[in-house]
Amino acid sequence: MEEIVTRDSPDRGDARRILPILGVLAVVTGAVLGGNPFGIREWVFGSAVPPPRPPAVGREAAAGVDDTTTVLRSQPWWQTVARLRGTGQMVTQAFTIGGDALQWRVRTSCTDGDIAVEVSTEAEPLVAAPCPSTPDGYSSETGSLSLRVAAKGPWRLHIEQQIDVPLEEPPLPAMTASDTREIAAGSLYRVERPTFGRVRLYRLAGGNYALRLSDFYVSPNVDLELRFSSLQAPRSTQAFEGASSVFVAPVDITAGSLNFKIPPGVVPTEYRSLVIWCPPLNLAYAGARLEFRA
Amino acid sequence: MVRGRSTELREDAGSSPVVTTDLPQRRQLVVGSRSIPVIFPNRRDPRLKLAAVITALQVLGQAALGFRVSIAQILVCLGTCALVDAAVMLRREGVLVWPASALLTGNSVAFILRTSGTEHGDWWSLNGIQYFILACLLSLLSKYLIRPGGKHIFNPSNIGLVWVLLIVGPTKVFPQYLWWGPNGAPVIAALAVILVGAVWILRSVGMVRMALSFMVPFALLLGIFAASGRSFFAIWHDGPVEGAEYWFNIVTSPELLIFVFFMMSDPQTAPKERRGRMIYGAATAVVAAGLIYFQPTEFGIKVAILASLTAVCGVVPFIEKLVRPSDDRAEDAPVPSPGRAGPASRRLIDSARHPAVVAAAVIAVAAPVDAAALSNEKQIVLIERGLTGEADPQ
Repeated sequence: MEEIVTRDSPDRGDARRILPILGVLAVVTGAVLGGNPFGIREWVFGSAVPPPRPPAVGREAAAGVDDTTTVLRSQPWWQTVARLRGTGQMVTQAFTIGGDALQWRVRTSCTDGDIAVEVSTEAEPLVAAPCPSTPDGYSSETGSLSLRVAAKGPWRLHIEQQIDVPLEEPPLPAMTASDTREIAAGSLYRVERPTFGRVRLYRLAGGNYALRLSDFYVSPNVDLELRFSSLQAPRSTQAFEGASSVFVAPVDITAGSLNFKIPPGVVPTEYRSLVIWCPPLNLAYAGARLEFRA
Repeated sequence: MVRGRSTELREDAGSSPVVTTDLPQRRQLVVGSRSIPVIFPNRRDPRLKLAAVITALQVLGQAALGFRVSIAQILVCLGTCALVDAAVMLRREGVLVWPASALLTGNSVAFILRTSGTEHGDWWSLNGIQYFILACLLSLLSKYLIRPGGKHIFNPSNIGLVWVLLIVGPTKVFPQYLWWGPNGAPVIAALAVILVGAVWILRSVGMVRMALSFMVPFALLLGIFAASGRSFFAIWHDGPVEGAEYWFNIVTSPELLIFVFFMMSDPQTAPKERRGRMIYGAATAVVAAGLIYFQPTEFGIKVAILASLTAVCGVVPFIEKLVRPSDDRAEDAPVPSPGRAGPASRRLIDSARHPAVVAAAVIAVAAPVDAAALSNEKQIVLIERGLTGEADPQ
C-alpha cells in the first residue's frame, strides 16, 4: 500500500524537528573526534607509529633486550637465535622465536645423502634437499620450537629470526682500549632521506680502523651501504656521484647504535665525509662531515 | 536544450545566488514540459578572477612545483562541489545557476588537501578520494545548513579542510607544504601569480586593508616567536626549522599568502564594513599566532592557521555589531521589560535554542581547541621528522 505523506503530516513534522538535532549531534561528534581524545583517531584511522618495543642489544638473541622502549623501526634484519649441530636423525634442543619476529629461517649445511628439517607445528618440511646444497627454510611460527632433522651424516643448522627493532650494540672492546684513538667525528645530515645520528671514527691499537654510529636512524631500505667520500659535505646525490668514494660496510640495520670494522686497505684519513648510499635507487640518503682531530 | 541569452546574477548577503528580477529570463533549459532558467556568472564577477588565479597556481603546481595532488582528485573536487551546489540551487530556487562559488570551494579543497601516498605526476590517481569528497561535502553542508541569521558564516572550503584534517588526521591527510621548493623560477612564478592576483582581486572586493591588518601583526608576532627560539619540524627540512628560517618559512609561505589573499578575503564571510574587516584580519592573525606558538610541527601550524579563520568567522556577527554606528544599534534595541531578563541575554537564550547557532558555536570553539590539541600529539612529530619509515604518510 502506498503511503502518502502530505506537507502537514506528523511524520514530516517529526523529521523537521529531529534532523537539526541530528545535525548538531554530528557537529558535536566531529568536534570531539577532532580533539582525538584517548587516541580515538588512531583507533579509527590507524597510526603511522608502531607500538613501543625494546631494542635488541646484540646480533645474537641470547644477548637479551634493552630495558628501554622505542617506536623507531629498522629495516628488518636477521638476528641469530641458535646454532645447532648433530649427526643423522634427531630432534634438536628447543629454541625460542620472539613474538615480535616477522619470520625466521633455518640455514642448513650437510655433507652426505639428503637432509630434511621439519618443525613440529607444520605439515610441510622446512628443508628437504640433497647434500651438500644448503637451502634455507622459512617459517612464521613463534614461541618455543624444536626441529626434527633427518640426515645421513653430520649437519649444522643456523637459526635466525627477522626483526625490525633497532640494535643498540655496545662499543667494540677495541674501541675503548687504552691505546685506541678517536680520530674523527661528525653528525649525520639528510641528503635525500631523513636521518640523525653521531659518527665516530677510531684508529685501533693494531693500526686498523673502526667506525661507530650512535643514536642513529636512517630511512629504512635494503642494501644500504656506508661509503667514505672525498667531498667535505656532499649535499646531493649528484655531488656525491661526481667525487671519488670507497665502500666501507653494508648497513643492514638502519636504527640504533652500530659498530663497523673498516676493511683493510681503506684509509679513512684520505676521505672527508661518510655517506649512506642506496645502490638500488642510486641515491645518497645521508651524509656526515668528518671532523678530524689534529 | 538551452536557448536564449544570458541573464545577470548577483549574490545576496548570505551568498545565495539570486536572479535579479529586473532582467528578463532569456536562457532556459527545457526538460520535457518544464522550463528551467539557466544563469551564468557576470564577466566582472570577482569569483572568476579568483578561479583564474587558483587555476594558474594548480597548473604551476602540476607542471613545475611537484604538488602531490592528481588531476583526477582536482576534477572530483570540482565535480562534487558543482553537482551538490547546482542540485541545491535547482531545488531551492528552481534555477540552474553556474556554481561559481562551489567551484572555488572545490578548487580550494584540492589546492590545500593532500592524501597520504599520492605522488606527484600520478595524474589520474584517485588515492584517498573519499577524503577529498568528504571535505567538499562538509564545505557545502556548512554553507547550506549552518546559517544562523539566514546566512552562512564560515568560509566553506576552510571549514571543510579544518574538519577533515582534524578528524581524519595526519596518517591519512595533510595540508600542502608551507615550503614550495627552492627559490627558483617555479616558486618565483607562483609568488608572482599570487601577488598579481592579490592586487587584482583584493582591490575589487575591498580587502586590501584586511590583508594588511592580518599580515602586519602576524609577521610581528611570528618574529617574536622566532627570536624566542620557537621551532617546528617539517618533512621537507633536516632538523627543526628555527630562527630566521622559522619566520621566513611561515610568514612568506605561498600557502599563507593564498590563505590571506584568497580565503580570508571571501566577502561573504568577512565583515561588510571597513573597520570590521580590519578587526577581522587582526583577530585572525592573533588567534593564528596564538595557536602556532605551541605547535612543534608543520601539520599543526597549517591546521592552526586554517582553524584561526574558522574561529574568527564564528564571531564575525559580533564584530559587525561592534562596528555598526551606535544610532543603528539603538534603533534595533528593544525596550527592556522590568523584572525579566534583559534584551541581550534574552536574545542570547533565544539564539541558543536555534540548532544553527549551536552548531556554529560548537565549530567556532572546537576548531581552535582541537587545533591546539595537535601540539601534544607525538605521532605528528615522528611523521614530520620522517621517522616512521615506510609507514610515513607524508
